Amino acid sequence: MRIGFDKAFIILIKVLTLFSLLLLSFIIIFVFKEGYIFFKEVPILKFITGTTWNPLSDPRNLSIFNIILATLYVSLVAIIIALPIGVGSALLLSGYVKERPRLIIRGLIDIIAGIPSVIFGFIGLMVLVKFFEKFFDFPSGESVLAGGILLAVMVLPYIISTCDETMDKLYRKHSPAAQAMGISKIYILRTIVLPQSLRGIVAATVLAFGRAMGETMAVMMVIGNAPIMPRLLGKCQTIPSLIALEMGMAEVGSLHYHALFAAGFVLMVILLMINVALYYVKRSLNR
Amino acid sequence: MKRLWRILICLSLIFTMVLTGCASQTPQAPAAQEEGNDANKEFRGEITFNGSSTLAPVISAIATEFIEENTTWDKVDSNFPDKNISIYVSAGGSGAGVKAVLERTTDFGMLAREIKDEEKEKIGDVNEFRLGVDALTISINPENPLAQIRDNLTKEEVKKIFAGEYKYWDELDSSLPHREIVVVIRDLSGGAHEVFQNSIMGDTQIRADAIQSPSMGALVTKIIENKDAIGYASFGMVNQNKGKLIPLKVDGVEPTEENIVNGSYKISRPLIVVKRGELTAPQKTFMDAIMSERGAEIIEEMGFVPVR
Repeated sequence: MRIGFDKAFIILIKVLTLFSLLLLSFIIIFVFKEGYIFFKEVPILKFITGTTWNPLSDPRNLSIFNIILATLYVSLVAIIIALPIGVGSALLLSGYVKERPRLIIRGLIDIIAGIPSVIFGFIGLMVLVKFFEKFFDFPSGESVLAGGILLAVMVLPYIISTCDETMDKLYRKHSPAAQAMGISKIYILRTIVLPQSLRGIVAATVLAFGRAMGETMAVMMVIGNAPIMPRLLGKCQTIPSLIALEMGMAEVGSLHYHALFAAGFVLMVILLMINVALYYVKRSLNR
Repeated sequence: MKRLWRILICLSLIFTMVLTGCASQTPQAPAAQEEGNDANKEFRGEITFNGSSTLAPVISAIATEFIEENTTWDKVDSNFPDKNISIYVSAGGSGAGVKAVLERTTDFGMLAREIKDEEKEKIGDVNEFRLGVDALTISINPENPLAQIRDNLTKEEVKKIFAGEYKYWDELDSSLPHREIVVVIRDLSGGAHEVFQNSIMGDTQIRADAIQSPSMGALVTKIIENKDAIGYASFGMVNQNKGKLIPLKVDGVEPTEENIVNGSYKISRPLIVVKRGELTAPQKTFMDAIMSERGAEIIEEMGFVPVR
């Protein structure tokens, strides 16, 4: 009787796992299929390297080089801002804060990850963008920098928790010996913990980069959505914001509609590459 | 015993999932059928709307009132059975509305633009209902000095501003400060932009670095927040934010209700509901409610100009 239940249960979990795998492959196949129709009409190289996106002109110009570049640019700015803050906080948390307050602070930081992105976008629009306009006298505050700062706040929890995990382990391992020898905390943190957790920091960066690239709503509200060559203080448009903005209006089955799927496919490929990179970094980390 | 529970819970989870799958399709499935002679078929107490995000709140408001007043269909008309009235409104843009009608996933499609001939052809048997007109006003921030010296822009000037030929305000009028003009638009493929493109821009391209707002609300907020901004705010939004942004005359025609209805103010778009084929009896009663005097009042309250 028991064996029968066991077998049934094994079959059940197998079916459920298969189901989730099927779901993933279905999404990839669907996006590729819709995008493929576009690639048949416009060569993929032209799509990626051309700089003009204008679905209304005749003939249509549907190329996303500027948009890919902007997606990478905004995420890069976010990482540059978030990484020092994140690594610094993680060092402090693992070395200087006691166990209980540390858990509480980490819990609070993790809450940042749970705030809906529309809220971030709204704050960005009303505070950040306005700040740029008022104090720096920009004609309009929507810029790559505004998007980068906003994203930096959003990816910070990912960087802190990933780094803190590695650093805490390292610190606990070396701290008794160091204390016995009378070496100061800051010295261990600087010369042992920081260099040895380099791989953890890289993994955190890659993870945060992927998160930043896929973020849609918050970014869409503060970057101005103009598909031009991105400059740090100029407007830009990212792939997720392009899709979110235009999908509702694109006529179904038109070239424009399929171009949006193609853009989504490009984003997915980039994210996939980042995730594969993350896998290799993590594997070398475990060695 | 523990195992048994585990399996039971898993099975019930799967079962619920299967059931959920059924539920989401129920309202759609009947819509997929041809509804020719509704008297012969089973009575359907559900009506679904899908499409323009401009029109969705209007239909929602009318539907809420309609449901609160009657609750069940037999109170609307004694011939109808005693069934609850349910009206579902979902927004996804005019394009999505047409798509939903085409795919028969909705009863009515809501459009905030003229229905294209090719779309009419694809749908085939189209029933169109004109509810009102939404006009786009060329609006600026009240702090913009332009508001003091002029209340009128010619069509040519509007075109040059949005095309990027005038980059700074002093190029429009030499008494204005040398500050960059911030052009705010809706997304290029949206219904609102299409109206603007057709009535003002023609074949001229809009400047590439214009800010594309994800919604009309965001566009209006941008104009209210930025004193160098100019954009096409909808007539309704301008009325709701009176004093916070200033609509300008175009070619001497002021965007007033009268000018919009008689067609002398050109930058406007119709609000249309489309249906494939004939209306069933309950659908017809609800449509009558929308077209009634009270319906027109609600449309007006929402800031649009009803067709009376």
